[in-house]
Amino acid sequence: MRSIYGDEAETVIADGRYGFISGLLKDVLKKPPIERLTLSDKIDRVIINRWLGIPLFLAIMFGVFQFVFKLSVPFMDWIDAGFGWLAGLVSGIGGWGGSLLADGVIGGVGSVLIFVPPIFLLFIAIAVLEDCGYMARAAFIMDRVMHKIGLHGRSFIPMILGFGCNIPGIMATRTIENPKDRLTTILINPFMSCGARLPIFVLLAGYFFAAQAGLVVFCMYIIGIVVAIIMALVFRKTLFRGVSSHFVMELPPYRLPTVKGVLTHMWERGRLFLRKAGTIIFGVVVLVWLLDYTGALEPIGSAIAPVFAPCGFGQWQAAVSLFFGFLAKEVVVGTMGTLFAAEEGVLGGAIAAQLGWTPLIAFAFMVFCLLYIPCVAAVATIKSETNSWKWPLFAIFYTTAIAWIVATLIFQIGSLFVG
Amino acid sequence: MAKEIIVALAGNPNSGKTTVFNNLTGARQHVGNWPGVTVEKKEGSCNYKGYSIKVVDLPGVYSLTAYSPDEVVARNFIVEEKPDAVVDIVDASSLERNLYLAVQLLEMGARLIVALNMMDEADSRNYRIDVEGLSHLLGAPVVPMVANRNRGTEELLEEIIKVAEKEVEVKELVISYGQEVEEEIARLERLISQDGELSSKYSPRWLAVKLLEGDEEIVKKFKDVKAG
Repeated sequence: MRSIYGDEAETVIADGRYGFISGLLKDVLKKPPIERLTLSDKIDRVIINRWLGIPLFLAIMFGVFQFVFKLSVPFMDWIDAGFGWLAGLVSGIGGWGGSLLADGVIGGVGSVLIFVPPIFLLFIAIAVLEDCGYMARAAFIMDRVMHKIGLHGRSFIPMILGFGCNIPGIMATRTIENPKDRLTTILINPFMSCGARLPIFVLLAGYFFAAQAGLVVFCMYIIGIVVAIIMALVFRKTLFRGVSSHFVMELPPYRLPTVKGVLTHMWERGRLFLRKAGTIIFGVVVLVWLLDYTGALEPIGSAIAPVFAPCGFGQWQAAVSLFFGFLAKEVVVGTMGTLFAAEEGVLGGAIAAQLGWTPLIAFAFMVFCLLYIPCVAAVATIKSETNSWKWPLFAIFYTTAIAWIVATLIFQIGSLFVG
Repeated sequence: MAKEIIVALAGNPNSGKTTVFNNLTGARQHVGNWPGVTVEKKEGSCNYKGYSIKVVDLPGVYSLTAYSPDEVVARNFIVEEKPDAVVDIVDASSLERNLYLAVQLLEMGARLIVALNMMDEADSRNYRIDVEGLSHLLGAPVVPMVANRNRGTEELLEEIIKVAEKEVEVKELVISYGQEVEEEIARLERLISQDGELSSKYSPRWLAVKLLEGDEEIVKKFKDVKAG
């Protein structure tokens, strides 16, 4: 019996109920002939318009990155000057202690801390978009796209949270009822470019793409989204077949965000970054400095480096940075800072000069950093949320494989054109 | 000894369900979990006109399918515990969407009272709602309210007592789903009626509709009983 009717009966019954309700309301509900649109409704006519919705979403995200990038430059210059002054102070100290302070601490931690302005500005922008009610609209707009890839809008909210940090993004998948939808959303979340990856992008885009830096960083976020969508599609067609569930999305009315609310949200997320800089990043750069100082680092890097040769960045310094980047992605920049004994202001130049990187290689490297292995904390979160080691291990290997393939394609195909 | 009445509060998210719950029970609340699932269970109580009224706050849902634990919890409580009255909090400013749950509750044969909340919001949009007509067509009492200004709470309590004491009749709602589906429903109803255990627990028509909707939980129960 069910095989004949199947889904169809379900639809017929739902239609029957709605038919009953609309018939009933014709009798008992009188609405004014021309319904006065609330301001929210008027704004929504444009914002969630079928054709304008997605272009507007992209334009808003692009605007956000321009805002973040342009506005953070003067602040970053100040911090840079501050660390330059510190470096001058310690330059007099000789021996291993001086090297630890100058190359390890100032070079390593300094090159990460300089990204406080763009990260905090990005968090401010995300908080404003959330508090004014736009993020819920973004989820609504993307619902249509998400349905095409076999997910629904509810999966989009964890993805947007992933822009801040993948950990809350992965945890937010708890609101997804369907276990297949949930697992798919967890596995693609690491492709959403988190705040920790921003320092890498800002550093390399800022040096290698100068005027187009904002655009290039924006590209990274879009590449992350596109890869996430493609992988979701692949997962739904292979590992997790089945239909996704339906749901009704609430669109809260637009509100003016309050300064207090925005700053609170920014601080909640931003302090995690500061804490990481003070603990794990500090620890790792000291370790990197120690390995470097004792000469143990180059052999390790040289052993891994050939793997990255097809991607264009087969130098041992790049390999070492990526290796330690597993602990936290900011560490990629911190490690480079220590290796080249340079704080941020001159780090881009040092990389270009000593590694011979071109903009194409820098781009491929950024894409690799975007897509490869989720950081240790994200892997641990996947483990606790899926309650097994199978999925975190799977995530580690498949993301890294994809990162390698995409970076190689970019470098190899790009080389044909740029020469 | 006061007579105890058990009332379940149902409603869509954002319909003001929590406010109504607080109005009814004040500070006398107890929060726990529904057995077996991590869905919050809130209970409270109040005394009114010699009755001791226990209020159980069901999770906010749009529908009563088996798609989410919230929906299953809400549905199972009504089917299995058979509360003396079920109050569905309905947002009067968006009736189309909110009545979908009310209709399903009535199809289940729940002893339903529709609490028409946010009447002020509906008024400000110049909606004219014929409360008596709505009550007549649904076959259930309808109480207009503005919960966030604590208006209508007393009227709701009166109605809860009337329904619990069976002074007011709440009819099981029958929606006609068209000839094809109706034939199937009739066939399934006959099958279900033959089974004493099933038909004593569930309304045969509701069960038949749920089976046709392909509701996994109900299909499983049906198979268990058939096999057993």
